[in-house]
Amino acid sequence: MLKIENLHVNVGGKDILKGITLDVKAGEVHAVMGPNGSGKSTLSNVIAGHDGYEVTSGSVIYKGRNLLEMSPEERAWEGIFLAFQYPVEIPGVNNTYLLKAGLNAKRKHLGLDELDAIDFMQIVKEKADLVQLDHSFLSRAVNEGFSGGEKKRNEIFQMAVLEPSLALLDETDSGLDIDALRIVAGGVNKLRSPDRAVVLITHYQRLLNYIEPDVVHVLADGQILKSGDKALALELEERGYDWVLEETSV
Amino acid sequence: MNHAAELTARLQAQLPTIQNELPGSHESWVRVMRKRALDSFFKHGIPTTRNEAWKYTDVRKYVDRLGAFAVEKPASEISVEALSSFYFGELDCHRIVIVDGRVSSELSSLRSLPAGVRIESMARILVEEAYLLEPYLHDQHLSGSFAELNAAVMHDGIYIDIPDGVVVEKPIHLLFLSHKRDEDSSHIRNLIVAGEYSQATVIEHFGSLGGSRALINVATDVELHAGARLEHYKLQQSDINEVNIGSVRVHQHRDSYYHSHSVAFGAALSRRDIHVEMNGEGAECLLNGLYLVGGRQHVDHHTRIDHVRPDCRSRESYKGIIDGRARAVFNGKVVVHTGADKTDSAQSNANLLLSDRAEIDTKPDLEIHADDVKCAHGATVGQLDMNQLFYLRSRGLTVEEARNVLMFAFADEVLAKIKLPEVRRYLERVAFEKLPGATALEGMLV
Repeated sequence: MLKIENLHVNVGGKDILKGITLDVKAGEVHAVMGPNGSGKSTLSNVIAGHDGYEVTSGSVIYKGRNLLEMSPEERAWEGIFLAFQYPVEIPGVNNTYLLKAGLNAKRKHLGLDELDAIDFMQIVKEKADLVQLDHSFLSRAVNEGFSGGEKKRNEIFQMAVLEPSLALLDETDSGLDIDALRIVAGGVNKLRSPDRAVVLITHYQRLLNYIEPDVVHVLADGQILKSGDKALALELEERGYDWVLEETSV
Repeated sequence: MNHAAELTARLQAQLPTIQNELPGSHESWVRVMRKRALDSFFKHGIPTTRNEAWKYTDVRKYVDRLGAFAVEKPASEISVEALSSFYFGELDCHRIVIVDGRVSSELSSLRSLPAGVRIESMARILVEEAYLLEPYLHDQHLSGSFAELNAAVMHDGIYIDIPDGVVVEKPIHLLFLSHKRDEDSSHIRNLIVAGEYSQATVIEHFGSLGGSRALINVATDVELHAGARLEHYKLQQSDINEVNIGSVRVHQHRDSYYHSHSVAFGAALSRRDIHVEMNGEGAECLLNGLYLVGGRQHVDHHTRIDHVRPDCRSRESYKGIIDGRARAVFNGKVVVHTGADKTDSAQSNANLLLSDRAEIDTKPDLEIHADDVKCAHGATVGQLDMNQLFYLRSRGLTVEEARNVLMFAFADEVLAKIKLPEVRRYLERVAFEKLPGATALEGMLV
């Protein structure tokens, strides 16, 4: 589904990603773990199409197409979804309006009819219940005045409505209490299917207790230093990141 | 002799005669007021950019229109249907229609009014009951050349008087329409007197039936007695070739409440002066404003709030979106007088510039002569927020849609403060149509 090869990314004159290679197949859940400042968020922003990042070399192929040539909205239509680490507040823009506009743009791109208002509201309410998001949030401005946990839950709610093929979750677990974490994980697990993939970007192993990854990668200093199965995550939890850095710097 | 001087000379020859034919001239105080106002006008002359208050707003191109007055009765071929595009959906209101500066009783429709409430043609009051106006209309009330000229040659407008304790439930919609296509001027005078603990909503609404090139010079006096509450709207949707100049002077007594919503969408040149004097303790004032201009439009807002007495609260927020080669001016002054302790005032002006050639000159201005006050002010000029744009695009909105959504949201923060949902929706729709390429965003209006 997603094939990243030798990706180098520069931000403001500084190399942040220094040769990332990653192969995510449909049906898989990958966890990308690493210390702060390792380039995790850069990776997710580049995949989603943020234009503040300069790709200096390497390639990203998504569903057989050159992802780097696609606009952020085209990526969204083709099924990429980024749950932001810091969801932006957008005063004056209604949450439901945003979802309806996004979903219908996607359906139009795929050659499907736009949903009528009743069908759309049906889906929205169902998905809000899935992540236990109070319906009052539907008519509020996007993320405005939401608590940290509510913003994260709203991201997962949006993901549930938009039903992406490839979901990128950028530290969605940070700042969540255990109950919220369970709800968020439940939303992600509901989305899992043989034709979808999930990339979890996280600092802690905690989330992986609820969403079991197929592959775990350690990202540090702009490179993937080590990959393994879920046992690697447990080992990181126990021993921290330093041993990986030492092991690979030899 | 330069252009303005030539025009002034022409007016000097013409106006003293015209003055004698204007309504109210049988009353000596009216004659005296008009005469003094005219003398001041000639003394000050038509403002130029050398005048500090008109530094960024050049009216020279349009002053010729002052040489002709829209004095004759307007043609009456306007149908009620033609007016309906200026109605606020199903909102039930008292409606007075003023065509080319003259009240049209045929087009107006007053619902039954609470006892004692008067909504009348200013021309009629000047002729028949001018004594009612004497306590309120003075030539010094409004400052500036256009206001002086207004006092000198005003011919019609609306007089509203609400007795003590009376609540006018239905909004009063004053619809000022331009119908003729002449390059002339009309000088409209309105007076709103709100008695103690009375309440009303007055909507001054300016529009064109197409092709007008008029200069509209409107002045409104507002007297709010103790505890009175007024929601006052100024909606300017003038024709793109029109000039709309207006001033509002508000006197607030104790515990009164004045909320102003000033929206400027149209006109080649539009200028609004609002001056609020908070003369009684515990008064509250809100000045809420929105301007959307493009092409070669010019819009200028000058506001002044005087905190004269203690314990008053003022809030002011103006926002603007400026596109093309348009230019906007904002000058907001707050003066806290000696002894006006416990003043609580906040003012802001935020602008979005959509093109490299658009321009904003903004000047928030604070003058404090009292201790123990809480005052804040600030101005911002910017482009759209890149992170918000990316967020919307990552959810599937095209870059154009995302831009339009953010522009609309920016403007809608002002409209969201409007208490009448029908008026808010009407203005949202008009704002929408003003924004570049916003047609696909219907859903946002829900």
